[in-house]
Amino acid sequence: MNKNNRLQNALFYVVVVFISLVVLFPFLWMLSSSFKTQTDIIAWPPKLIFSPTLQNYAKVFGEQDFLKYFINSTVVGGLAVGLSLVIGLPAAYAISRFTQRRLALFILLARLMPGISFLMPWYIIASRLDLMDTYVALVLSHMLIALPIVVWIMSAYFNSIPVELEESAMVDGATRQYAFWAIILPMSGPGIITAVTLSFIFSWNNFMFSQVLSMEKTKTLPIAVYNFVSYAEVDWGGVMAAAVAIMAPAIILTMIFQKFVVKGLTMGAVKG
Amino acid sequence: MASVDIVNVKKSFDRAEILRGVSIHIQDGEFVVLVGPSGCGKSTLLRMIAGLETISSGEIKIGDQLVNDFTPRDRDVAMVFQNYALYPHMTVAGNMAFSLKLRGIDRAEIDRRVARAAEILGLTALLDRRPRHLSGGQRQRVAMGRAIVRDPRVFLFDEPLSNLDAKLRVAMRSEIKDLHQRLKTTMVYVTHDQIEAMTMADRIVVMRDGRVEQTGEPLELYDTPANLFVAGFIGSPAMNFLKGTIEVADRTGFVADTGTFVPLPPSPTHGELAGRPLVLGIRPEHLRIADGAAGGFEVGVKIVEPTGSETQVTATANGADLIALFRERHTVRQGDQLHLTPTHFHLFDGQNGARLASVSI
Amino acid sequence: MHKPSFIEKNIRILFPLPAFLFIALLMIFPIVYTLALSFTSWNLTSGAPMRFIGLRNYGQILLEPRFVDAIVRTLTFTICAVVIEAVLGTAIAIILNRAFIGKSLAKLLLLLPLVSTPVAVGIIFNLFYDPTIGLANFALSSLGLPQGLWVSSAATVIPSLIIVDVWQWTPMITLIVLAGLAGLSEEPFEAARVDGATQWQVLRYVTIPMVMPVILTAVILRLIDALKTFDIIFAMTGGGPGYASETLNIMGFKYSFEYFRMGQASVILIALFFLVLLCSMGIMKLRSSSEN
Repeated sequence: MNKNNRLQNALFYVVVVFISLVVLFPFLWMLSSSFKTQTDIIAWPPKLIFSPTLQNYAKVFGEQDFLKYFINSTVVGGLAVGLSLVIGLPAAYAISRFTQRRLALFILLARLMPGISFLMPWYIIASRLDLMDTYVALVLSHMLIALPIVVWIMSAYFNSIPVELEESAMVDGATRQYAFWAIILPMSGPGIITAVTLSFIFSWNNFMFSQVLSMEKTKTLPIAVYNFVSYAEVDWGGVMAAAVAIMAPAIILTMIFQKFVVKGLTMGAVKG
Repeated sequence: MASVDIVNVKKSFDRAEILRGVSIHIQDGEFVVLVGPSGCGKSTLLRMIAGLETISSGEIKIGDQLVNDFTPRDRDVAMVFQNYALYPHMTVAGNMAFSLKLRGIDRAEIDRRVARAAEILGLTALLDRRPRHLSGGQRQRVAMGRAIVRDPRVFLFDEPLSNLDAKLRVAMRSEIKDLHQRLKTTMVYVTHDQIEAMTMADRIVVMRDGRVEQTGEPLELYDTPANLFVAGFIGSPAMNFLKGTIEVADRTGFVADTGTFVPLPPSPTHGELAGRPLVLGIRPEHLRIADGAAGGFEVGVKIVEPTGSETQVTATANGADLIALFRERHTVRQGDQLHLTPTHFHLFDGQNGARLASVSI
Repeated sequence: MHKPSFIEKNIRILFPLPAFLFIALLMIFPIVYTLALSFTSWNLTSGAPMRFIGLRNYGQILLEPRFVDAIVRTLTFTICAVVIEAVLGTAIAIILNRAFIGKSLAKLLLLLPLVSTPVAVGIIFNLFYDPTIGLANFALSSLGLPQGLWVSSAATVIPSLIIVDVWQWTPMITLIVLAGLAGLSEEPFEAARVDGATQWQVLRYVTIPMVMPVILTAVILRLIDALKTFDIIFAMTGGGPGYASETLNIMGFKYSFEYFRMGQASVILIALFFLVLLCSMGIMKLRSSSEN
């Protein structure tokens, strides 16, 4: 019995390690390739031991204008998330407290619709209004990513706050909107962190909107990485360094806010 | 301080009627308890006084102001919620000061009032703590402190003790009552616990299904319940009921449908009631063991529960269970046959449940 | 003084209004515009004026084998990927659903694929699949198996893409099911064990039925996203070789932004829209039935 248990336990850890390796493998390969010279990368059989080099990173941040794209991605994501909070928090509150289910479905549509089905008119309108390659168009489009996430997560979060808190504040002399501002928002920190982290990551990773609406001036990182592949025909080291650069912020955010991210991702499917 | 007038108030959600016309006059400084089973509309009524629910029809007045269309903040009432609704991100002092800040009262006055309320409630040492670091009883006190600092016209309590354990509940009961005696503010208190109602209230309003069943002082409700519902609701253990009719022919007494015959002393009312379907109500504490076998009705003892100060006996008479409560110590055992006789009883109309007579023997 | 303020009286409308207007103006209006375009002959490159041509775009596209292929391909990709992810994801969740050293680390690892930039993931897998220098072929040949062309061959491109999707999204199912399992109360499991059920029977008759609603919801969420998969396919193959990996979303993108055949692009997008809508309605149905 005891021996059996120990065997089972060992088997379990073997399985866990195996799963972890499968999950980690592409990241490890990306990371190691980013420190390889082109010769090492195209060597056959693939080299596990090599002398690392920083030249790929130097190239990506030196020759390519990566820092600019990095800033673009941050500005677009930051503004889109910030503005989504401004209009999404009151909407989430209304959905939670006044049970406006149809509004919830309506905003969720943005999560369900394929992006291209509204991107084409956007493209036409943005061209006409001279908004192509501007932050305005890009931020607005990224709000369509961030807003549903904010509303979805925050309405669930507000549901978990007893309504008596506002009622008490209202009896105490507050207006409903002031109770929302002074009582509900200050205690919604965990929900807001979840919503911000998740919507920022999804905005950060978005490819399609920027591909259509941005050109050189407002280009975001995913486009830059994609273009890097097309231009620099198989400069694998550079591409991998670029991939590391684009993934690092999302991964760091995830590590810092692990609990919140898990909660946000699973909230839709698991109640409570 | 102010009186509260509730005049023919109705409330419906969609098609469900929650309140079907309620009128209550609450005097200035009175402690009124709204009591009834869950779903009777008592909490809805309280929330309507606070302004948290709209009024479908009827009037609510605080003092002589009609407040139907007032927002909660304009009604000058304070409310203590069942889950306390403390603001988790504020300290105890912050929780109490919140309403005063909203009213633009100056800092020194706020501090003075918070300090005074904290002293009354024994919270002075806890003023800088946050609610999550407080015990249930302390949270309850903070919730009351939040109401006290305001010096409102009316205090509203929505089942404030139901989240506390039994011992603490008894202690807080007397604290709230004591508070009322000190502040002399009008208080409206909602509970489903009739003992809370009996021990705390100046006046009790018993509600059921959106209607007021009876209003009165605690002992008035206990002694002269208006109907079967109030009789069964007030008092613990609950009143025993037997369905049957009065007989005045060769023997005087009550014949239960089960066949049990309860001998009763002759009384003029019996004549009028004879033959009508009735319900005989006897409180457990109004049963005693009959002097002779002939003096009462026979029951078989099922369960004996002595608590030391009294003995509760569950017995059955022809299949109908009865509870008797004795102050004196009888040595009865399960399976014993006893003869019981009432010292006091009520007769209710078998059809509409109204009380027809109360008789002491 | 005793009158509620304007904001207070209309808070039910005012609070959600900005978000509502935002979605209505920036999403619903464009979608309606797209719908309208589908009845016109508009082509941005030709410069010819927009003309109403009724259902002609629909007729043309429906007869186009490329369109029918794209629908079949979209469904094949989606169903295969999601079924594998559901089975694998649930299995992993059930394995990991116990206390063990490093559980928190394992959960963090599972999060990483989900938050990775899909374009970058696609590029990494392109290196992995590269027929001459890629690790995939190295692995095959060291096992003595014949080497493959992976995304470079029409025959293997869809399975290769499915592998990438499975790698990136299986962890999502795992995390959701894990959260679902954590939310279950202990008693039914203890009761089943007291009743003499074996580990396998507990799994079969207690665990799986109890998390089924959660699994189904996760599957449908995944289904919706899989139907819309764009970044990975676009970055890895651009729909090629030929049209071998062209799904509806890729095809719609090409018709819109490469050929500028707006009218026909609209028809493609409407087809995709309806596929997604069908699945979304599935969500609503499922959620309401699992709530009862």
